[in-house]
Amino acid sequence: MTVEITGSDLTCEDLHSVAHGSSVALSECARSRMQSNVESMPEGPSILEEKRHWLVGGFAAEMSPEELCRTFIIGHCAGVGPRLPDALVRATMVARANVLATGTTGCRPVAAEVLLDMLNAEVTPVVPSQGSVGAAGDLAPLAHIARVACGYTERPAGVRDYTPNSKEALALINGVSMTAALGAVAVVRVRRVLDAAIAAAAMTMEAVGAGAGCIDARVLEARNHPGGIEVASRLRDWLHGSTQVTPDRGANAFSIRATPAVMGTLVEELCCTETILERELNGAGDNPLLIDGEWLEGGNFHGAPIAQAIDAVKVALAQLATVSERRTFRLTYGQLSKGLPSFLVRGTGLNSGFMLTQYTAASLASECKGLAHPASVDTIPTVQHHEDHVSMGPIAARMLLEMVECVADIVGIELLLAAQALDLRSRGIAFDADGNPVHAEPVPLAPKIADLHRRIRAVIPYWEDDEVLHPCLKQAGELVRTGRILGVERPW
Amino acid sequence: MPSSLAIDGSSLTLHDVVDVARSHREVILADSARAAMQRSYAWVQKAAQDDQPVYGVNTGFGSLARVRIDPAHSSLLSLNLIRSHAAGVGAILPVPETRAMMLLRANALAKGVSGCRPLIVDTILAMLNAGVTPMVPSQGSCGSSGDLAPLAHLGLVLAEGDHGRVRVGDQELSAAEGMKRARIPRLHLEAKDGLAITNGAQLTTAIGALALHDAICLVEAAELAAAMSIEALRGASRAFNASVHQLRPYPGAIATAANLRRLMAGSALIDSLPEKLQDAYSLRCTPQVVGACRDAIRYAVQQIAVELNAATDNPLIILDEDDENKAYSAGMFHGEPVGIPLDVLKIAIAEVANLSERRLYRLTTGSLSQRLPPGLASKDRPQMGMMVPQTTAAALVSENKALGWPASMDSIPTCEDQEDHVAMSTTAARRAATVVANSRRVIAIELLGAVRALQYRLQHEPGIRLGQGTQEGVKRASSVLQNLGPDRTPSEEIEALADWVESGGHCEAISGLERLA
Repeated sequence: MTVEITGSDLTCEDLHSVAHGSSVALSECARSRMQSNVESMPEGPSILEEKRHWLVGGFAAEMSPEELCRTFIIGHCAGVGPRLPDALVRATMVARANVLATGTTGCRPVAAEVLLDMLNAEVTPVVPSQGSVGAAGDLAPLAHIARVACGYTERPAGVRDYTPNSKEALALINGVSMTAALGAVAVVRVRRVLDAAIAAAAMTMEAVGAGAGCIDARVLEARNHPGGIEVASRLRDWLHGSTQVTPDRGANAFSIRATPAVMGTLVEELCCTETILERELNGAGDNPLLIDGEWLEGGNFHGAPIAQAIDAVKVALAQLATVSERRTFRLTYGQLSKGLPSFLVRGTGLNSGFMLTQYTAASLASECKGLAHPASVDTIPTVQHHEDHVSMGPIAARMLLEMVECVADIVGIELLLAAQALDLRSRGIAFDADGNPVHAEPVPLAPKIADLHRRIRAVIPYWEDDEVLHPCLKQAGELVRTGRILGVERPW
Repeated sequence: MPSSLAIDGSSLTLHDVVDVARSHREVILADSARAAMQRSYAWVQKAAQDDQPVYGVNTGFGSLARVRIDPAHSSLLSLNLIRSHAAGVGAILPVPETRAMMLLRANALAKGVSGCRPLIVDTILAMLNAGVTPMVPSQGSCGSSGDLAPLAHLGLVLAEGDHGRVRVGDQELSAAEGMKRARIPRLHLEAKDGLAITNGAQLTTAIGALALHDAICLVEAAELAAAMSIEALRGASRAFNASVHQLRPYPGAIATAANLRRLMAGSALIDSLPEKLQDAYSLRCTPQVVGACRDAIRYAVQQIAVELNAATDNPLIILDEDDENKAYSAGMFHGEPVGIPLDVLKIAIAEVANLSERRLYRLTTGSLSQRLPPGLASKDRPQMGMMVPQTTAAALVSENKALGWPASMDSIPTCEDQEDHVAMSTTAARRAATVVANSRRVIAIELLGAVRALQYRLQHEPGIRLGQGTQEGVKRASSVLQNLGPDRTPSEEIEALADWVESGGHCEAISGLERLA
């Protein structure tokens, strides 16, 4: 697959696809827009030379333009810490190329094309993940990319020779493209986790027999939050034909009854944040801009618009984590799970069954609470009073990526437990308080719930007695991350 | 490397843990520990056959303690515990943290109150000595009742069967293959072995102990960096006067002030601006802030020191008690006593870094730096101006704040409400380790800036004298930087100095200072 880079219609999904190997091409339209933008450049001193004071303290006058660019880029290679994964570096490169393709930054098409060459030749620079405050852009991480693009390291095969001019050296690094890219990849992942979480909630409802009132369209519409309405509608779809989720059943605990309310917040936050991120991906995140033949100095490099949007997803995602964990708690809790045995295994005590899965979910949910704390509320003055308010957006984005890993495993655990519970129900396996088998009527599963159950059983066996838990958790997490639980298979 | 370490359950130190975890010091079980272990083992073996219920020996676990287990099944009970508790997720722990966890568990068992054979400890120690490291996922523990899942992943390797994975050198192998190659027989588990292997907050303490060691190193480096910055900024020494600090006698502040005085002694730059009565807080209040961190670290050191030699099992077998039932069910596995100090450590270290970042800001800001060049740029290496590294430091300290939420404050009920308050201490330990790693880089950036600033002073005021300690610091740190070659990036410089601090290079540079541990 090839993603066309137009500077105007890059989506989070496109970016995710490039992150995982899709090739890229600069659209003709973008190329000519960039070209005419460059041609509109006014006469006069190079824009970079004007910046030399805060750059190299007045030594710029003694340097050639080439030396100045090199100095500028290498001087910004100040990232530290663990290496950013390759997929996220690729996402960052395509995000930056698309900003240049807006044709507002005074860059020649070649500045974008060299980044696209690197993507197509699978040349992925080593980028340390820490060190950006998300204003004036993700300077350090982008400089580590630009250093390779500009050939300041050994020029890699398949990448054209490229020497940046002063403005291009600046434009390659002066925007929050890493934050936007990480946020966009995270949004794709969060959406996948949300889809799986709705399926998991439906399975749990089927397993414990929930009252259908909590997903009745009329109830949700009477309150009119679109997220809640959507979650309830999707739960009804999964549960269509259920004999266990019926209006005559009483009210359930909040973790079941309020699922549309709690998980609906994430639906809305995601939608909102995705819109904001896609604006950023296709916006002129650079400074100065060349518009109508005039250089205009602004603050388009500041990450505030996306930093806060990313933090908002973290808060909503933490809610999803904690509510799924509570459903897991109920599934393992003999007194709360309506006839299911403690820890979903025959209650001999010799087996601990799925006891520990809930500890794991609790530990991960607690981590999510910590990670949900907003990064964007902080700011620290930098660069000699000049950059005196910054966004901390890249920290928010990295924390969201860490969180979504936790939540994928939490949802995987709910799927694992719900599948076991549905096995017990559908086979009519039940036990008395002493763990002796007692008669129970086998319960037919709703057709789409049975599909979900089958997909889990294709990779995770039913447990009669204790087994090694870890491989099951790993498989369960993979079902969520790949989307296989919903019958698709995609890179994470 | 010192000779082999003999563990007996009561004398393990923080340095021992670092030596074994990172430098692969050999470990053996002290002969003195064997007899007590054997006695408590014999009692458990007998109890497993008796009518009297003993938790986890002839009953189920957690809320399943209500269920009695047939003595014939006590071995399977242990094995099932290990298998069903191996519920870790996420990235695999680094080797040193895993080794520290193994050592701590072995030491807890060596106390001889867990009812298990010396053979279990011998097997763990044989793995440490042969470099066989279980692959333990880093996430999923609540720290109560202990780090069950991570320790169960160790148990998967110890117990015979088709489960568990290990790292040996660069290779990842099945536990069966790895142990066979190292010629370490795996164990047939007996009554209570499953509990004895898993029941305690050893992963919390392992990660915490290594982070604490690094934090101590970091604070000492932070005092050196502070002294160098204060000197470069022509600071005033009266704020560090010994009599002043006796009037508000916090031990940490007294020590930090003493160290600053010693490091700066003899400097011609200190007190060179008589018209300046007092400095900005990031200079003047270094003893108050770094000293407070020293006091917090001392609390963490004290707590970790107890935990390193603690019995953390449940039940404990106390043969000296008169009661016929020698098995005492209690809550020794609960991670809170280490979780809280590790959260405190995290806050303390974040503050050391916050203060450092502000001094760095002054060094790089022309109007605040007593005429150092803006951004500390210089003619010979203009691209090494320090404004971008200052931004890096700001990003790191801000990340620390975002990670600052105290993990140990949270709790989520588990195990059918039987384990209805948990420590979340493992998360506290992991976050503390991240904050220490971030902060070490902040200190590295300050060192980088201070070295450049002092070099500038030396260049422009030839013959000027630096302080006793700072002069040595500049010399050593400069040589670390020179080894990098001419085309280096700021990133490489920062990482090299951070590694230097991590390895304790700065401690060797300066003698006679007040040490933390």
